[in-house]
Amino acid sequence: MNAPSKFTFVSSDRRVREDRRFVAGQGRYVADITEAGMLHVAIVHAPHTAARIVSFDATRALAMPGVVAVVEGGELSEGVEPLMNGLDTPKVQRYPLAIKYVRYHGEWVAAVVAQTRAEAEDAAECVDVIYETLPHVIDTEEAYKPGSPPVHPAHGSNVLLDRTFNWGDIDGDFAACDHNLSLRVTWGRSSTVPIETFGVVAMWDPWSETLDVRASIQMPKYADQIARALRLPGNGVRVHYDIDVGGSYGVKRGIKHTVLAGYLAMKLKQPVRLIEDRLENMESGDAHGPDRIFDIDVAFSKDGVVRSMKMRAMDNAGAYAGRAPFQLGKPIGAIVGPYRINSVRYQAVSVTSNKAVQEAVRGFGQSPTNYAIETMMDRVAEFVGLDRVEIRRRNFIRHDEFPYLIPSGTRYDSGDYHVVVDKVMKHVDWDSLVAERDRLRATGLYAGIGISACLEPSGGNSSFEPLLNTANTTTTWMESCRINVDALGHITVTIHTTSSGQGHETLASTVIGEVLEIDPDSIRIVRTDSLTSLPGNSPVGSRMAVMLGGSCFHAANKLKTKMVAIAAKNLGCDVNGVDYSGGAFRARASDKKLSWLDLVTIAHRNYHLLPEGFEPGLEATNVYQVPTGNELPTADGRVQMYPCHSFEFHCILVTIDPDTGKVDLRRYVIGHDCGTVINPHIVKGMTLGGIAHGIGAALLEEFVYDSEGQMLAQSFMDYLLPSSHEVPEVEIVHHCTPSPFTVMGQKGSGESGYLGAPAAISGAVNDAVRTLGIRFNKLPMRMTAISDAIADAKSSTANAR
Amino acid sequence: MKAAAFDYIRPKSLGEATHLLAANEDARVIAGGQTLVPMMAMRLARPTLLVDIAHIDGLSGIADCGSFVTFGAMTRQAQAEKSALVRTRLPLLAAALPWVGHTPTRNRGTIGGSVANADPAAEIPLVLVTLEGSICWTSVSGQGEIAAVELFSGPMSTEMPAGAILTEVRFPVWEGPGIGVGFHEASARRSDFAYVATAAQVQLDRMGRCVRCSIGIGGALAFPQRLPRASKALEGTHLTAQDIASALSSEIAALEIMTDGHASAAYRRRVAGALAARALTDARNQAQGAHV
Repeated sequence: MNAPSKFTFVSSDRRVREDRRFVAGQGRYVADITEAGMLHVAIVHAPHTAARIVSFDATRALAMPGVVAVVEGGELSEGVEPLMNGLDTPKVQRYPLAIKYVRYHGEWVAAVVAQTRAEAEDAAECVDVIYETLPHVIDTEEAYKPGSPPVHPAHGSNVLLDRTFNWGDIDGDFAACDHNLSLRVTWGRSSTVPIETFGVVAMWDPWSETLDVRASIQMPKYADQIARALRLPGNGVRVHYDIDVGGSYGVKRGIKHTVLAGYLAMKLKQPVRLIEDRLENMESGDAHGPDRIFDIDVAFSKDGVVRSMKMRAMDNAGAYAGRAPFQLGKPIGAIVGPYRINSVRYQAVSVTSNKAVQEAVRGFGQSPTNYAIETMMDRVAEFVGLDRVEIRRRNFIRHDEFPYLIPSGTRYDSGDYHVVVDKVMKHVDWDSLVAERDRLRATGLYAGIGISACLEPSGGNSSFEPLLNTANTTTTWMESCRINVDALGHITVTIHTTSSGQGHETLASTVIGEVLEIDPDSIRIVRTDSLTSLPGNSPVGSRMAVMLGGSCFHAANKLKTKMVAIAAKNLGCDVNGVDYSGGAFRARASDKKLSWLDLVTIAHRNYHLLPEGFEPGLEATNVYQVPTGNELPTADGRVQMYPCHSFEFHCILVTIDPDTGKVDLRRYVIGHDCGTVINPHIVKGMTLGGIAHGIGAALLEEFVYDSEGQMLAQSFMDYLLPSSHEVPEVEIVHHCTPSPFTVMGQKGSGESGYLGAPAAISGAVNDAVRTLGIRFNKLPMRMTAISDAIADAKSSTANAR
Repeated sequence: MKAAAFDYIRPKSLGEATHLLAANEDARVIAGGQTLVPMMAMRLARPTLLVDIAHIDGLSGIADCGSFVTFGAMTRQAQAEKSALVRTRLPLLAAALPWVGHTPTRNRGTIGGSVANADPAAEIPLVLVTLEGSICWTSVSGQGEIAAVELFSGPMSTEMPAGAILTEVRFPVWEGPGIGVGFHEASARRSDFAYVATAAQVQLDRMGRCVRCSIGIGGALAFPQRLPRASKALEGTHLTAQDIASALSSEIAALEIMTDGHASAAYRRRVAGALAARALTDARNQAQGAHV
């Protein structure tokens, strides 16, 4: 850290309290839940990429042992509303099951409900469906063309979104620049693929007319969406938040699974469990990430100062819209990265295709965008003959320019980019890193250094919703906390969402302990359900340190203020005359004291001693609105996106085996500035995991489709996650630039590492092969493709001789 | 991912097991189950009867028989990996075993199961072919021995008679000083299915001349194959880089190489050549060291 901590518990080396039960195998996941009479669901999947359902016959399946019901799309569509659509595209309707048409290979056609999952799977094989195949489209640019086979004929084309923003004098800036260049990079379709697949248990209580939902969920407005789809009042759905979620980073949003299970539970009046198997999770769980082509024109001076950028981002959303197109919107909040780029044209295009549906993935489109921006900076450096670190230094926003307004309307909170880079350069000893690269090259390996500098927008709001959909006027994006002090003086804090491993209990107890000056381990954290909870938006958009932290901070201060007022009355002084320290109260003038328990007793038992107008008991509640971002977008499409901007600078050394093409990460250093760190272990874990995820996106992971629309990566045999063998030791260089917009100066870190790793790895691989005159512009860069390209380059060089 | 219904029987004798297999052509033998169980869970394999051979006496263990070391079919890969006998008598197998799956799969996976499964990318069959070993089988109609170079007939397929149980795997032992081995793999991740795997074992005389050589290629082909011409051509040479390159080139060019979404045929052929050369070079260097 660059500054001594002014905190007692915040930023200190305290263990993560959740870890104890996870390490001991005592997590409680959705698959651990069993209810009396619980039924199991298996899915009938479409065997075609695009087809009309000609006939459906479940007779044989219904006669199988244990089978209770078979439900197809026709019946379901009578009983439920279409799932929520992010964009204003009413003709692109999505239901949990295909209605009349199937639009991607594996799409859910019917649900088979039986006493056991095995029986349900047996019966699913005996559902007889006849299809008539239809033309399909897989390729992104093909889908964008007028006349491509429409995935939703009623919508008229495959274009879900095609909007161009002009922020600033782009044409003037291009005209004023010495040079410009164009490039294209492609981000392959990968995702976060948790070990725990999505699962849900739904239970209908006809007496209270309540649907109880326990799910492996990480999703805003989940209960609302279930209620709306199932035509229940909002208070007819109770989502339980005390379920551990076994990994997510965005994708655990099984709304179609939940609406289907809820429908079945209501229809059958029995608890219904639907847990994706791995094949379903991979092919039809609707949880793939961005699948994106970037075309960039950049204008810059001869000394490498970038003045303007035109970027077209074209994303292949898959068969239905869902929320995925918004992943083109969020990066608008950091569209210039950490750089002083004067003007930007941004064309956001989202098309439908006959691929599986996308879901939110860590960074919500930011990591692909960062990869595009950083590749652009490397190219400009190469063009003007500048060092890649130097060109970034020349373009960085300076520390004294914050808060800094970027062309697209977001004001960056704070940053100290030059200093972070200096610290990393010193840590790696740049000259010796270059010498090491050259030494490795001399041994016959290809060796390269990669760097990337990028932002992690955090403290998530949803400003991209009104920006891309004018029918949406959302500016509220709150998080809540309630603190209760019981009659024995012990503190219980309620938080109002599930956790998928972010360490919310540690976060909340640390912040509240800090404010109240009491041991965080003495604070109990409980999770409510959606009927007893305060409003919140779940842990998305790297927001909980900022938002739950902010809410806890304000609730704790509210409690403290209340207690100080009670103390003042009973100490016979003004509130300003009371000192609070470590849970005790002292009148400065008289030195009279009251203990924590004295206050608790007064609040709970001595109404006669309470200040006038005080409610008995001791509790405080805070509903915290996201700092900044409280306005709708302007007419020209400028808006304040997320409030906080963490910074990361990656510096890595790789080698490539000249024969096999295997990339070996020899050194991995990251400089990281996420403002005030609340728990260093959590931040470190996020960063290391994010880098591992980035290694996967850069080198290994892809949901590959063939031209017929068959998804080829259906298991972990073909969808390659980095293992511990592939993830190197990571050296983290810390820096702390507090955010002026948050209660303790904290920013987000939930996406750290992932946002810059693919760009850095791509830069390093390209540095390694530069002398061959080849480039890799598409992720993932598979070792076999690297090797093939090296071999081609060598043979064409040999032929040229 | 629930297996289709099946029966499961755990016989106590080989005779009982072979009778079960003879009576049901959809029956499958299960040993460690590290391939079969996931295949069944995905319903890509649907045996109606599993015959578990784990509890049959005498099917497990490693024995030195002089000219060869024999492994009972049920011998766990992890047991072989830890065996001092394997290290000293079968250095090529010892070099390959760490590449077989991961520690947890080696704890369950068996030597015999890997050979009978005949995955083109599997390391144990590659070593068996390279060393020109053999397997023994038993069925209701008798028993027999099949040379490794005759055993494999395609991806996941062998020449074992229907209803036979693989009982023993025999790896020849090279005697004498100056033996060295090399083993290389190209795979996307450590211990993934190999795009290409190469194995080499050589013996050098005191002058550094190769007196015996065997090279095998796996992963790139429908089943592992020995390179007999290159192996022969290198005998009598000093295994210089040039000797190696010229011995390998024509035989590798003639191989029938597989292709799939992960790696092109051109990749596999090119890398087969490069890794075979590396395996031979390692083997030579190790053999030279053995004489010092």
